[in-house]
Amino acid sequence: MIQYLIILLDETSASFCHYDNPKKERCLIPLEVLRQGIRFGMMENLMIQYVYPDYELPEEYKDVIESIDHSKIKPLADDADVLVLDAPQEINADKPVVLRIKKQDLFALTDAVAKMLKSVPRLNVVLTDVETFTDEDFETYKKVLAGFSTEVKKLYVEGKSPQLNLLTDRMMLSQMNNCGAGDTTITLASNGKFYVCPAFYYEDEADSIGDLEHGLDIKNKQLYKLGYAPICRHCDAWQCKRCIWLNRKTTLEVNTPSHEQCVLAHLERNASRELLQNIRKHGSFLPEQEEIKEIDYLDPFDKRDTWQ
Amino acid sequence: MEARNITFIVTKDCQLACKYCYLVGKNEKERMSFDIARRAIDYILDHETAFEEESVVWDFIGGEPFLEIDLINQICDYLKSEMYRRNHHWFNSYRFSFSTNGINYDSEKVQRFIEKNHEHLSIGITIDGTEMKHDLNRVYKGSEKGSYQSVVRNIPLWLKQFSNAATKVTISSADIPYIKESVLHLYSLGIHEVNINCVFEDVWNEGDDRLFEEQLMQLADAIIDGVYYEDYACSFFSENIGKPLDKILENQNWCGAGRMLSVDAAGNFYPCTRFAAYSLRSKKPIIIGNVYDGIDKNKLRPFLSLDRTTQSRQECIDCEVASGCAWCQGENYDAADTNTIYQRATAICKMHKARVRANNYYWNKLYRKLELEGMREEFEANKPKSNDVIC
Repeated sequence: MIQYLIILLDETSASFCHYDNPKKERCLIPLEVLRQGIRFGMMENLMIQYVYPDYELPEEYKDVIESIDHSKIKPLADDADVLVLDAPQEINADKPVVLRIKKQDLFALTDAVAKMLKSVPRLNVVLTDVETFTDEDFETYKKVLAGFSTEVKKLYVEGKSPQLNLLTDRMMLSQMNNCGAGDTTITLASNGKFYVCPAFYYEDEADSIGDLEHGLDIKNKQLYKLGYAPICRHCDAWQCKRCIWLNRKTTLEVNTPSHEQCVLAHLERNASRELLQNIRKHGSFLPEQEEIKEIDYLDPFDKRDTWQ
Repeated sequence: MEARNITFIVTKDCQLACKYCYLVGKNEKERMSFDIARRAIDYILDHETAFEEESVVWDFIGGEPFLEIDLINQICDYLKSEMYRRNHHWFNSYRFSFSTNGINYDSEKVQRFIEKNHEHLSIGITIDGTEMKHDLNRVYKGSEKGSYQSVVRNIPLWLKQFSNAATKVTISSADIPYIKESVLHLYSLGIHEVNINCVFEDVWNEGDDRLFEEQLMQLADAIIDGVYYEDYACSFFSENIGKPLDKILENQNWCGAGRMLSVDAAGNFYPCTRFAAYSLRSKKPIIIGNVYDGIDKNKLRPFLSLDRTTQSRQECIDCEVASGCAWCQGENYDAADTNTIYQRATAICKMHKARVRANNYYWNKLYRKLELEGMREEFEANKPKSNDVIC
């Protein structure tokens, strides 16, 4: 069931996920489209998430934006609910931060990223070049996660509770918690059309799933659901973003993740397993959560002969 | 024995323009070069661990493959020498397979090729039945002239060279009234195995299922009353069809797309020929790599993790006569509402149900007859085989 409506306020709205926004020319969503989008959200009981550009919006937009309960995803710190950064920063924030980063930068700036854990309540690290990972990169990533794990454990032992999506989400989950594009979340673009997620809009504006005038028309909508994803429904890397856009980009199917996405998610899962065990050595921690089982694979696809 | 099927699309040209042909983009220009074929072979044989099946079927299709007999001869020589030189596990565990329209089967070059490779050859000639039925669809390019006479003259030579040869018959709406006489005609030509299927495309008209059922009932009577069942097979009648399927234990995909590999004249790899541009009406081709860069394994993942229930509507999952209801992944993709292989086309539904009813009739009638004659056990031990060939 659709629960969230992402509204792109400008053609240059910040990317907060795996995709890049190729648009460079500022162009605000028409006020009337914004109003109709909000109205649609109200009628369908959707939680609205506005995605902002990197400049101040005109006052008349602010009034319309505030006409409904919402959250703000912004590249500027001021009143954001979620702050989006494209590089690690020394920052003191009381809101979740999304850090979009390429693998080489993550590998080179591990300490700077780890430092952010101390100064933000939640850090979502989003790799923007997942599809380029090699076996060598996987090994490096494993070491990077181990480094983060040491830092997170230290903070937990000190009585703090930092959140790093790559490590702490899996510890706290008891089922899949993925991006939900096309299933729980849709996106409204400035042309008044709906898309599976912003990435689908930026890739091909003709690839819409309905519009404000005629409503939603998601063809094969079951394929966005976990039950229709043969690899994912056999998986317990519950923190995986299961990025629908990356799926389609790499495998041509929205319900099928690439090898790279699966291995990264499992390296994170396994690092979470170790982190959970290490924290528990210092006392009771998440007692209601089961141990994360040891597994002998990094890609569930490799175990497909055992699926029933 | 598990076999990998590897297909060379050697040409997209054909002498015929069959009316039911799914190859919508046939042309005279796209002919494979030996360099592309050699690169494909080198890639495949270089990656032996990725092709670990015990044996291989090197398949040659078109258009009409025998239009490129010189190239095919060169490819097969190279394959044999390379499998031997590399001590590849497929050496001596391979077949060369052809589906031909049979028109130039008796040409000197084709015959020389057959003589040279006979031990490792499978050749199927497509003949659709009686002259009328055959010529209804299988007409020469650029004219309405039927090809029956050009093909039937080669059947005796073919059967002499391949005594167990089978033919493949395709049924679309206009063919239905001729099914019974066509199968019996093929038997009379000496063809003991007739593999026959309805096209998967949405070509069926209101009432076709009833006509189809009636034809199959008449065919059943003719086969049983004529005692053809002892030595002849027709794939329409199979004991394994028409049963419910378990959602968990019988959840395999029907189609082998993705476990096969096709290469075309441009050197592109496909999960099956049906995903090449010339096979598709309304979708872009699904290219999974090429002879220069190899196979992108990520693009194979949807094919290899696809199962029956995930691509089926609830009606199909719950169907009480589901077994034997086939699909073609390429047609599913071509007919789907989005660019997905995960939406099963169901144009064939009524035809399958009609087949199941006639099939039930056939086996009930045959077994009762055999029981009354005390011949059932003997029949079961020696019954002729057919293949549910669908593409």
